[in-house]
Amino acid sequence: MGAKRKLLKGYRGGLLGSPLKWLIANIIAWTIGVLWILPFIGIFMTSIRPFSEVVSGWWSVSPFTPTLKNYVDALFNPMFSLLRGFMNSFIIAVPSTIIPVMLAALAAYAFARFSFPIKNYLFVTMLFLMAAPQQMTIIPIFFMLNNMRLLNTYLGLILIHSSWGIPWITFFLRNYFSMLPKELEEIARVDGATNRQIFFKIVLPISLPGIISASVLQFAWVWNDFFFALMLIFDPNKMVITQMLPRLKGQYQIDWGLLSSGSVLAMIVPLIVYIIFNKYYMGGFRGWAMKK
Amino acid sequence: MAAGIIIDDVTKIFPPNVVALKNVSLKIKPGEFFVVLGPSGSGKTTLLRIIAGLEVPTKGRVIIGNDVVVDADEGIYVEPRDRNIGMVFQNWALYPHMTAYDNIAFPLRIKKLPKDEIDKRVREVAEALEISDLLDRKPAHMSGGQQQRVAVARALVKQPNVLLLDEPFSNLDARIRITAREFVRELQKNLGITTILVTHDQADAFAVGDRIMILKSGIAQQIGPPEELYGKPANVFIASFIGDPPMNLFKLKIDHPLIDTLNVKGYITKHDNIVYVGIRPDEAIASTSLENAHFVGKVILVEYVGSRRYAKVNILSEISMRVLAEENIRDGDEVRIYVKKLHLFNSNGKRIHTINP
Repeated sequence: MGAKRKLLKGYRGGLLGSPLKWLIANIIAWTIGVLWILPFIGIFMTSIRPFSEVVSGWWSVSPFTPTLKNYVDALFNPMFSLLRGFMNSFIIAVPSTIIPVMLAALAAYAFARFSFPIKNYLFVTMLFLMAAPQQMTIIPIFFMLNNMRLLNTYLGLILIHSSWGIPWITFFLRNYFSMLPKELEEIARVDGATNRQIFFKIVLPISLPGIISASVLQFAWVWNDFFFALMLIFDPNKMVITQMLPRLKGQYQIDWGLLSSGSVLAMIVPLIVYIIFNKYYMGGFRGWAMKK
Repeated sequence: MAAGIIIDDVTKIFPPNVVALKNVSLKIKPGEFFVVLGPSGSGKTTLLRIIAGLEVPTKGRVIIGNDVVVDADEGIYVEPRDRNIGMVFQNWALYPHMTAYDNIAFPLRIKKLPKDEIDKRVREVAEALEISDLLDRKPAHMSGGQQQRVAVARALVKQPNVLLLDEPFSNLDARIRITAREFVRELQKNLGITTILVTHDQADAFAVGDRIMILKSGIAQQIGPPEELYGKPANVFIASFIGDPPMNLFKLKIDHPLIDTLNVKGYITKHDNIVYVGIRPDEAIASTSLENAHFVGKVILVEYVGSRRYAKVNILSEISMRVLAEENIRDGDEVRIYVKKLHLFNSNGKRIHTINP
C-alpha cells in the first residue's frame, strides 16, 4: 500500500497518466531491453573465456577464468588476421564515406534550390532505383568491375560503396537543405556571393549536423557491409573485418571464443562511432527539425 | 551617392493567377526615406524583393539611379549583387556561424577588398551603429536590437546607393521599437542614403517616412507625406487604416439626419445616394457644456489612454462614435459633441472633400 502511494505521488498526470500504465510500460521496456542485450552479453562473456570453458556450454558460469587470449588469437590469426581486417575496413569505409557525402551534397543542393528541366523525374527515378537490393545488382557490378580490372581492389570496392551511398545521401541532404531558411542564401546573394560561394561559405557550415549525420550513417553502413566485400574482394590481405569473421570457423570444430572475440572487435568501431556521434545518429534517423 | 528609384508600371503575377502587384508606379527621390505601408498580403514585400532583384516583375521596369535594373518586356535583369543595394530582412538573416565582425565583413570579402580596408570599414560602420563592442559575438549571443544593428551594418558597409528594409521593427518589443525608429531615421538623414522601408505598422511608417505609399491588394492607394495621408485620405480604406484610434466611419443614406446636421449636403453630387462620413476621434470633442455642438448623445464608455480620454458616445440611437472627452465626463453622461473636421467619401469610397463644419 505504501509503495503504491509513492508511485501515485510521483506519477499522477505523468506521461502515461496512471501509475499502473507506467508500471506496465516499464516492465515491457525492461523486458525487451534485457532480451535484446542478452545476446551481446553472451558474446562478450564467451569472448573472454578460454575454449575449454566455452565447450561445456555458453551459459555455464563456473569455472570462470577471464582471458584475452581469444582477442589476441583473432587479431593476429595467421590466416585471417583481424588486425589486417580492421585496417582494411577503415581503408574502405573512410573514403566510402567522404566521397559520396561530398558529391551527394552538391547534388542535393541543386535539387533543393535550383530548378532545371526533368528535375523531379530525375529525383524520383533516383529514389525508385534505390529499392534495388545488392543481390540483384551484384552480377552486373561484378562484370563491370572485372572489365575495368577493379575486381579485388580497394578502389573497386570504394567506388561501389560510394555509388551505392550517393542516392540515399542526396535524398537525405536535399531534405535537410530545403529546411534551411532561404533568407540566409538570399541575403548572401544581395551581399554579392555567387552560388558556389553561397554553398561553401554559408550553406555547408550551417548544415554540419546534417552532413555529420549522413556521414555517420554511411560509415556504419559501409563498415557493416558483408555482401559487397564478400563478392568483390578475394585476397585475404585485402579482406574487411566482416568477411573475415566467418572464415575464423574451423573445419572440424567451431572455436566460439575466437568467433565471439572477432565479433566484438568487428562491432566495436560502429559502436564507438555511435557513442561519440549519438546526437547526429539519432538526428539522422528521425530527421532534423530546424529551429530558426 | 544616393540614387533615385523609378518604379514604372510594375505588375507581378505569381502562377497560377495570384496578382501580387498591379500597375504600381512611383518615383522615389535620391536621399528620400520612403515607406511602403500596407496590411499583410498587400504586395509590399514583393515590391521590395523586385527592387532588390530577388523577384522578377511580370510587367514593367525598375530603374535605380540611371540604370534599368529590370525590364520585363525587354528582358533586362541585373543581379542583386550588381545593383549596389543593401538589404535588411525582417528576421535579420545574420549568418549564425559567423561573428558580428565576419557578418559585416562578408560583403567586402566577397568583393575581395584588401584586409586593412575591410577592417577599417567594418569598424567605421560598427562605430556609427554603436555596436563596436559586439564584434566578436555570434548572433545567438545578442539581443534583438543588437542583431538588427549588425544586420543594418552589414547592409551599409558596402556603401550602397539604396537601403531596403523589410519590416525591420516587427521583431522588436515596443520600448526598443521607439529607440530603433529614431536611430534609423537619424542614421538615414546623416548618411543621406535613399531608403525604402516596408511595414504594416502605420505608427512606424509615420515616425520615419518622408513620403508613404499605401498598398492594398497590390494596388497603390495613395502616395504622399504623412500629413497628407492623415489629413486628406484618398479613400475609405486609407482613412480607416491610418490613425489610432481609428476614424469613425459611417455609411449613410443621403437623407440621413446626420447629413443635415453636419451641413454637408452641398458637397454631395446628385448621383450618389450613399455617402461615407468619417470623423477622427481626435477631431471631435464631447463636453457637457458646449455652445455650437452638432449633436447630443449619451456616453457608453470612457477610455483613458494616458494623455487623452476618449468617450464612446451613442448618438441618434443607432450610431456610436468615439470622440475626445473632456475631463469631467463619466459613463452615462449626456454630452454635446462638436465636430472640428470631417471627411466625406462617395459611394465608391473615394474622397470627396474634407470639411470643417
